[in-house]
Amino acid sequence: MSVGLLSRALSALSVSRAVSPQIASVSGVSAALTGSRGFMTSACVCQNRSLWKQREKYTVRPIGMKKTGGRDYTGRIVTHGIGGGHKQRYRMIDFQRLRYEPGREDQPIVEKVVEVRYDPCRSADIALVAGGSRKRWIIATETMEAGDVIRSSCTIGRMAVLAKEGDSHPLGALPIGTLINNLELLPGKGAQYIRAAGTCGVLLRKVNGTAIVQLPSKHQIQVLETCVATVGRVSNVDHNKRIIGKAGRNRWLGIRPSSGLWQRKGGWAGRKIRRLPPIKSFVTPAQ
Amino acid sequence: MFNATVQRIRTPAFKITKNCKSKDCHSVLYMIPHGRRFLSTSSCLYGKILPRKKPRVVHEIAGLEPITYADRMHFVPGLAKPRFPPWDRGWKDPSHYTSPKLEDMPLHKDKPCYMFNQRTNVLEGVRQALWLSKSVIIKGLPAQILALAEDPANQIENQDERVQDAIKNSRLWDTTEPRPPRERFCPSLLHRLLHLCDGLQVMRPELAKRILAEKYSLAATWRRGEDVFQVRGQNGLLLNSMTPVPVLAGEEQIKSTADQALETFYPIAPTIDLQRTHIYQEKNDTGFREGYPYPHAHTLFLMEMGNTPKLFPEQLRAKMVMFAFGNALARAQALYGKEPRVLEKPIVVQSVATNGRLFQFVVFQLNTTDLQSDSGVKNLVWVDEDQPLYGFAKVWPFIKKKVVKVPAGLSGYQPNTFKKFLALYLHGAA
Repeated sequence: MSVGLLSRALSALSVSRAVSPQIASVSGVSAALTGSRGFMTSACVCQNRSLWKQREKYTVRPIGMKKTGGRDYTGRIVTHGIGGGHKQRYRMIDFQRLRYEPGREDQPIVEKVVEVRYDPCRSADIALVAGGSRKRWIIATETMEAGDVIRSSCTIGRMAVLAKEGDSHPLGALPIGTLINNLELLPGKGAQYIRAAGTCGVLLRKVNGTAIVQLPSKHQIQVLETCVATVGRVSNVDHNKRIIGKAGRNRWLGIRPSSGLWQRKGGWAGRKIRRLPPIKSFVTPAQ
Repeated sequence: MFNATVQRIRTPAFKITKNCKSKDCHSVLYMIPHGRRFLSTSSCLYGKILPRKKPRVVHEIAGLEPITYADRMHFVPGLAKPRFPPWDRGWKDPSHYTSPKLEDMPLHKDKPCYMFNQRTNVLEGVRQALWLSKSVIIKGLPAQILALAEDPANQIENQDERVQDAIKNSRLWDTTEPRPPRERFCPSLLHRLLHLCDGLQVMRPELAKRILAEKYSLAATWRRGEDVFQVRGQNGLLLNSMTPVPVLAGEEQIKSTADQALETFYPIAPTIDLQRTHIYQEKNDTGFREGYPYPHAHTLFLMEMGNTPKLFPEQLRAKMVMFAFGNALARAQALYGKEPRVLEKPIVVQSVATNGRLFQFVVFQLNTTDLQSDSGVKNLVWVDEDQPLYGFAKVWPFIKKKVVKVPAGLSGYQPNTFKKFLALYLHGAA
């Protein structure tokens, strides 16, 4: 509205009265349609909404988070049901297990678990592991405890490795039938799948250079065998058996109540029994 | 007139968040956060900030000089953008100073140095401090100091009463607020206890040849394996004396340490949690100038008040060991030079740390400055852990279900802790 007022005011000042912008602004049609160029009347709002997540250097200490409340940069609710809840601090998790310390790329990665603790940002527990001169947070597996020693390797031998829970190996080195978690889709990208509490995938088959894994949703995917995954189930196995108990606990978790309006459910609702989709392959034909 | 749908122009909810005078900003881009203008139609109307496109990559071809519009003094489409050499003011203006890159700084070295300062919180605690200082640990205080503690001739008159008075003064009566914070009662208690110990100067004139120093900066450098380590920082109160502390362990005990192996903690490296830096100066400084009348460091008093940063007892003991070692090493290098050698007269430095209630006692004896290898004669550390001076000092009684669990005032006083404190103070003068 301010743009329209100012454009009208300025056109009133100019000598050659342009007819179309005046009429356009009088009839309330958008300036974009009529061709007059609007202009900025005030400075952009300085948004530091996402400055807390712009840190590049890895750190073990927790970082203060800003809650969005389900709103985006325009201020409107994009996702309903999010808001409030206990204040949380974000701990930077290293999803790439095979990250070498600068200067120690030739030595195998052996780390000791210092502590396993609750993470407010995810359902799984996280573990602080220390190896060499660095510490990092990783997703803890089911029976991980303080004092355990875990290894991460990148070699695929001729024989399958006896998989110990908590260690991470490429899929080609694991025996078929092992339960895995924190699966990478592309080698070196970092774990993207199977990270939630209590989940595990199963290594089904290994087919010349690729491996087929069944995800917790029973979907099957095909990835390169050099992708690294951690052995075992993710920690906090009884997460799905917890009882919230009261509405207040949901509010503590940052979940706002859903709208109470009854709406007739359409074809999308209800149980569907259908066959599994075909195996999704993340291997490009060139590889 | 127009068969166009009437659209309501949404007003972007903008507000100028920065108030600055126009004469401060030489460019209007200073006032705009993001530092650029958003002139596309949707940005102007709807406040949408389009993401910035990456600038066109300009490849530098060796041997070819690009023709720039530098001579024309204005932009000419088609010519390359000139790149000028960075302008040097010629004199140092403090308000327009940009520091050089790390590699160009004068003290930059290729080999990194691992620094231990007063804020370091080591992961492995005392084990790591022992590896770094090439020492062997003995639990409990040495026999000479325990004998001093038990000797009734060394007590202050009405010792228990006066110590309890000191605790009550600092914990309960120091403030009009409900309870004094730890940053207040911890230094207050330590100073009162030191004042009590000073009262013995009447009977022992050697105690007068000491002085307390605060905020002195320590620097000590040594090499371990292929790495360089340093201890730096202002650590706490240092009690200096004119005479050195007498040696505690005999020759045989020192020689027997050569057979004991240093404890390693694979897979964690001993350099974890230490500040790794390429810009350093290999400095060895006791913190005091030559010709200082009290050259020998006697006892280091550390206060743990939980602010920078909060240290657990294990990490606090590690800090004590490292700083006692740093003081001893700096003194040894000032006396005997920088050459690594086994000392004929070992240097002893004591350390006391407290958090207001628990006391940790450490006695460090530096037998050798040859710290390069892991074998050979090692240094000795006596550690006495977690000695409470009192149990509770509550302003209000702790009542649970109408039963008093912990009474108000001072409770659970342990006299032995102060005896050890006094013995460490008197050691060397008694």
